[in-house]
Amino acid sequence: MLATLATVDVKSYLPLGILIGMAVTFAVANVVMSKMIGPSRDGPSKGIAYESGMNPVGTARKRFNVRFYLIAMVFLLFDIEVIFLYPWATTFPNLEAGTSEGLVWLGRILFFLLTTIVAYLYGFRKGVFRFD
Amino acid sequence: MTTLTHIIPSLVASVTGSLVQDGHADAAGEVGHAAEQVSHAVSQGITPPVDGPLWIALIPLLPILGVVLTTLCAIFKVKSKLPAFLTVGCLAASFGLTVAMYQHLSGMGPGSTVVVTAFEWFDLSWGAGEGQRFQADFAFYVDTLTCLWMLFVTGLGTLIALYASEYMAQDVGKGYSRFFMAFNLFVFSMACLVMGENLLVLFLGWEGVGLCSYLLIGYFYKKPAAVEAAKKAFIVNRIGDLGLLLGIFLTFVKFGTVSYPELWPLVEPYIQMVKSGHAGDVPLTVSLIPILLMVGAFGKSAQLPLYVWLPDAMEGPTPVSALIHAATMVTAGVYLIARMYPMFLVSEYALPIVGWIGALTALLAATIGMAQFDIKRIMAYSTVSQLGYMFCGLAVLSSTGAAFHVFTHAFFKATLFLCCGAVMHGFAGQLDLRKLSGVAFMKGWGIVGIAMLVGCLNLAGFPFTAGFFSKDMILAESFVTAGPGYGAIGWILLITAGLTAYYTFRVFFRVFVGPKAFEPGDELHEDHGDDGHGDESRPEAGATKFHPHAPGLAVNLVLGILALASIVAAGAYFVDKEDHGWVGRLVHESSANYTGSAAFLEHGDGAHRLEAGATGDGEAGAVEHGEAGAAGHGAAAAHGSFLGMDPHKAMYYVSSVVGLIGIGAAFYLHYLGRTTAARSKADDLLPALGPIPRWAQHKWYVDEFYNAVIVVPLRVLAHVFHAIDRLLVDGVVNLAGVLPRFVGSRIRPWQNGVMHGYAVGMVGGLALLIAAVVLLSM
Amino acid sequence: MIERIGYLWPEIVLFIGACLTMVIGLSPNADMRKQTGLIAGVSLLIAAALGLATPAAPTWAILPGIMPFAKPLIALVGLLLLLVNIGSVDRDEEAAIAAGKPFNPLRVTGAEFYAFFLFSLMGAMLCATAGDLIWLFLALELTSLPTYVMVVLSGRGKKGFDRSQEAGVKYFFLGALGAGIFLYGFALLYGGTGTTQFVEIAQHFAAHGMNPIATVGLVLALVGVSFKIAAVPMHFYTADVYQGSSGGVAAFLAFVPKTAGMISILLLVSTVGWAAGQGSLPPAIESLLWALAVLTMTVGNVLALLQSSLKRMLAYSSIAHSGYMLVGVIAGPGDGSFVSSGIAAVLFYLLCYGVMSTGVFAVLASLERKSGGEAVEVESLDDIKGLCRSHPWLGWSMVICMLSLLGFPPILGFFGKVPLFTSALGAGHVVLVVILALNSAIAAFYYLRVVAGVMIDPESDSGVRDTGVPARVIAAVISGVLVLGLSVFGNVFMGSGEKAAEVRRFVGQSDEHDTDSVPLDEHSEAAEDEHHAVSH
Repeated sequence: MLATLATVDVKSYLPLGILIGMAVTFAVANVVMSKMIGPSRDGPSKGIAYESGMNPVGTARKRFNVRFYLIAMVFLLFDIEVIFLYPWATTFPNLEAGTSEGLVWLGRILFFLLTTIVAYLYGFRKGVFRFD
Repeated sequence: MTTLTHIIPSLVASVTGSLVQDGHADAAGEVGHAAEQVSHAVSQGITPPVDGPLWIALIPLLPILGVVLTTLCAIFKVKSKLPAFLTVGCLAASFGLTVAMYQHLSGMGPGSTVVVTAFEWFDLSWGAGEGQRFQADFAFYVDTLTCLWMLFVTGLGTLIALYASEYMAQDVGKGYSRFFMAFNLFVFSMACLVMGENLLVLFLGWEGVGLCSYLLIGYFYKKPAAVEAAKKAFIVNRIGDLGLLLGIFLTFVKFGTVSYPELWPLVEPYIQMVKSGHAGDVPLTVSLIPILLMVGAFGKSAQLPLYVWLPDAMEGPTPVSALIHAATMVTAGVYLIARMYPMFLVSEYALPIVGWIGALTALLAATIGMAQFDIKRIMAYSTVSQLGYMFCGLAVLSSTGAAFHVFTHAFFKATLFLCCGAVMHGFAGQLDLRKLSGVAFMKGWGIVGIAMLVGCLNLAGFPFTAGFFSKDMILAESFVTAGPGYGAIGWILLITAGLTAYYTFRVFFRVFVGPKAFEPGDELHEDHGDDGHGDESRPEAGATKFHPHAPGLAVNLVLGILALASIVAAGAYFVDKEDHGWVGRLVHESSANYTGSAAFLEHGDGAHRLEAGATGDGEAGAVEHGEAGAAGHGAAAAHGSFLGMDPHKAMYYVSSVVGLIGIGAAFYLHYLGRTTAARSKADDLLPALGPIPRWAQHKWYVDEFYNAVIVVPLRVLAHVFHAIDRLLVDGVVNLAGVLPRFVGSRIRPWQNGVMHGYAVGMVGGLALLIAAVVLLSM
Repeated sequence: MIERIGYLWPEIVLFIGACLTMVIGLSPNADMRKQTGLIAGVSLLIAAALGLATPAAPTWAILPGIMPFAKPLIALVGLLLLLVNIGSVDRDEEAAIAAGKPFNPLRVTGAEFYAFFLFSLMGAMLCATAGDLIWLFLALELTSLPTYVMVVLSGRGKKGFDRSQEAGVKYFFLGALGAGIFLYGFALLYGGTGTTQFVEIAQHFAAHGMNPIATVGLVLALVGVSFKIAAVPMHFYTADVYQGSSGGVAAFLAFVPKTAGMISILLLVSTVGWAAGQGSLPPAIESLLWALAVLTMTVGNVLALLQSSLKRMLAYSSIAHSGYMLVGVIAGPGDGSFVSSGIAAVLFYLLCYGVMSTGVFAVLASLERKSGGEAVEVESLDDIKGLCRSHPWLGWSMVICMLSLLGFPPILGFFGKVPLFTSALGAGHVVLVVILALNSAIAAFYYLRVVAGVMIDPESDSGVRDTGVPARVIAAVISGVLVLGLSVFGNVFMGSGEKAAEVRRFVGQSDEHDTDSVPLDEHSEAAEDEHHAVSH
């Protein structure tokens, strides 16, 4: 393995190594240094979730209405759809004119839209859009 | 290895060479049929088989149909004689087809053979090379030898099934269906054995008849003696079967096939090798094949040293004794050798061994038979003895004589057994000849008496009976053919013929004629059935209450037919006279017709010599006996042709005289002046003979000898092995069982259901694997 | 890319089927809702037919013959699995609705269940279609993600739902971990070879040999994918998850992710081993697979010995069977004939394993017993004792399938195992074969315990009875009959397995050429005239 290692251009991985090294160093150093340098005063008020914010009242395991999550997920669907549509829309005009390439690309995005439509249909049937 | 192949034959040659001096003979007055046989064998060979009509396959399949039908009868608990009639029907149809098969074959001209392939059975290949393919079809090979055997197998099968329909009547609704199921299965197996196109089908049949024999000997499975006898038969046969199996393996290894038609051309070069005096060039592995096959034949045909099971097999129902243990199955060994005759010619020692074993068995069994009191056992020993004759016939190059004797013996021995069976049946299981007398003169027993007389005359070789002709053929040839000690074989057989005549008529004169007296056996209400009739009050055994019941229509009919057939069988000797009779013709047109090729056993009127040479160049042990050698051994010269006469002609008179002396002795000792069933003049003679009769009655203590020499040491060994097994092997096995469980219980805690633990396990395992791979790569 | 549509028709049909069930399954009309199972079945049938008609030897495939075998296999075993699962989801809810409870779309889960069912099968098929790493990753995830939900759905509304939820969550997290590992491996493979295309990876290896990054990538990828086939050390989830699922879903888990995983492993290993013009695998990969195979079958069998719960026992047995199949992967394609090709052996074994394990799980799914007034699935061996007498059809199916799993000679499992033995022997892995044989012997203990319990022991008194869903019993009986039938007619599939195991080979080029400029010489020993040079 070492023999083959020599044939690989190790230098090209150097930046990657430096990056990893920096990331690790930064993370470790932060934790270690704050432990070492920072003063450590402990108390009940230090233990609360938001030290300078509102006081947490009641239990955190409170039930939210399930629609809250459903709408968040439907929003995500839209979001993803747009994320995919953007690159497609920017690439589409660059396709070579006069070939069938355009049709293929159109077909692909239509298929993608179809899947979202099915997902919406499913959401609709499931009653996600009924706000009562 | 090469040295071994040279040393062993020369060793044997030096032993046999000394024997040859006796067996050597001069050339006086010899008829010239040897040349004819030689021309038959080598020049004609065996015609390559042609495909036969498919209906031939029905011959074995009809008994299978019988098996199915009788099994259905057993399932539906049929309470009638239906299974018997179904069996008789199937077997009769099978017999009819066999006759048609014979006609078909006759129509095709002499030497024709037919192969009928039922289906492809084995086709294995483990490479493309030579000998890397094993093929065996479920096919039937039909030649005249097959026809001969099948004719009496199916014919006698039908008749004996008819007899059994009445004989087994007490068991209707109990073991009746079981009996006939096994009976059909037996005929099927026997048909496979005889008709098989290759050694594998033969082996299937061989094991099948063994199984049926076991099932039928142990038919009265509540009787300990029957179970013991069945086990004994099975186990003793296993020894022989091992030999047969090894022989088949070796045949495949050496020749690459087990199919008869393919084998003959492959064996031919070896025969020629022996014939041209180069016997030493035959590889040991090839010459070992006949020896191994022979062991199988000795087991199945109850020859020394494996004969001990057959007398005990008489515990089975009498029809079974008649069919399986007298007429058909026990001749399988003879068939095997006749069928594989070419194979027995590649070794110089195979046939002489067969001959000596046969002769010694014949004599030993006859002496035991003389001292027994149980008439069925006497018949059993006579079967063993007669089988010895047949083996001698094969050994002295008279496969015709052997086959003819098989043929005639099948009829008369079946007759004798069925007569004994009728007596046993009628007198509540009584078989002791000291307790029965004058049976033939009782009301309704006339046909049994006449049939018994016919059978006894045949067995005793009374002039102009079928048994007389067939026995003479073997006797004469054993004086004609020169081989290692063959003259001695002839004399042994001649003495045995006299003994046979004596013990046969001892039974007849004691049981069937003389003053009327009987003492019934202990099976008053035939309680040997499945249920044992436990609830019936058993009447006191006594002649006053007991009335023997005479045989019914079926039994009398069958006995009549068989007795007639025994007489008529003699006719086969006169048909096709130039070919040694009808049987001779059948044998000559089959694979058993290689007699002339046995160069090491000179047969005929030329130089009677034996080439026991280990090497072809005559250096080591090639003993050549010419006229000069004969002149130097005046005494020995007397044997070559019987006492200076042509054995073929002389034997008619000599054996007649010997047979009549035997009968006369029996008449004097067991009939003249006998007033009671229990005593005769023979008893007065006993003290003069010292312990010999007692030894003979105890079968020369052969069973005890086997027990001491084989069974006991084996049992001790078994205990030793058992102990080793318990301590060592079981220990290892238990350890092997415990170890996985132990490992499992060690790693089980990791499966603790905690997800973090699982994740750590996965990643840790991954890390270990990567580390291992990296280490390995470096 | 567009030319691949021709190979995707089975997946497309399943996709359409899944979309339909998703929407129709939420219909307020109960009769419409009942059609979902039918739709799923029909789409599986059509997919099987289309899969059979898949054209072979596309230029981007490294195992060109695998699709016409794997896709019908997945679809048809899927059909059997559908029979086991049909009518199990929403059973109580639908009964309540029929009794007058108002329909609440949030309460029924049939639509999701069948859609996920089809999606997962579709994912498995897409694994067989995969031509590059990204495709393979997506396909594997498409196979797995629905199963996480199915585990939970299968326990819904039943006693022990908490166990199902726990199993589902465990399965999801550990599955994500596994996916992370093989995704990392894929990334390193890309890094090491500069391409995600299998064919190009193989060509790269053929031209330049292995490099450490690609080696580590491949190790990670193989170990990560091992999660799908439940190989040691990625096996920890198996028992808990199977136990937490209904019998039907456990059967699904035993077959579908395993098939997807095995096909992925074959594809991944093909790139580096025999496709790169070598007779065998590089030593590093071979020793990795060797260790995986030995550990997997041994740990699986050893732990199965100790189980009293049938589902846990079957879970460990499923692990062991993955180990057996890895032996075939190590053996490689041999000379292409069925007896020497480990790949053909693996593919045929997948078929055998699919049928027999489905049969066993179907029997378990068909039975229930009363526990505290509620019906629960049978759990222990004691529950199914004397089954041959009380429920002969189920009992004998169980016996047949168990004997088959054990590899009892004249039954299917034996014919599945023999090619594994012969191929490994042909490749010279005698030690591996010995270990495989020893493991089969250990396995005999726990399989025979079940067989003996079902056949010989007196009936249990725990009140075991039929669940009243005929489809499950039918599935069990069909499996039993199939096991027997394939024991006789399996040679047909052996032939197609042999065809499927065809490997495209790339003869290595000398090192002085640069990868991208090398005109690659393609050579297939199995069918020289059918394959032509791969164009870049």
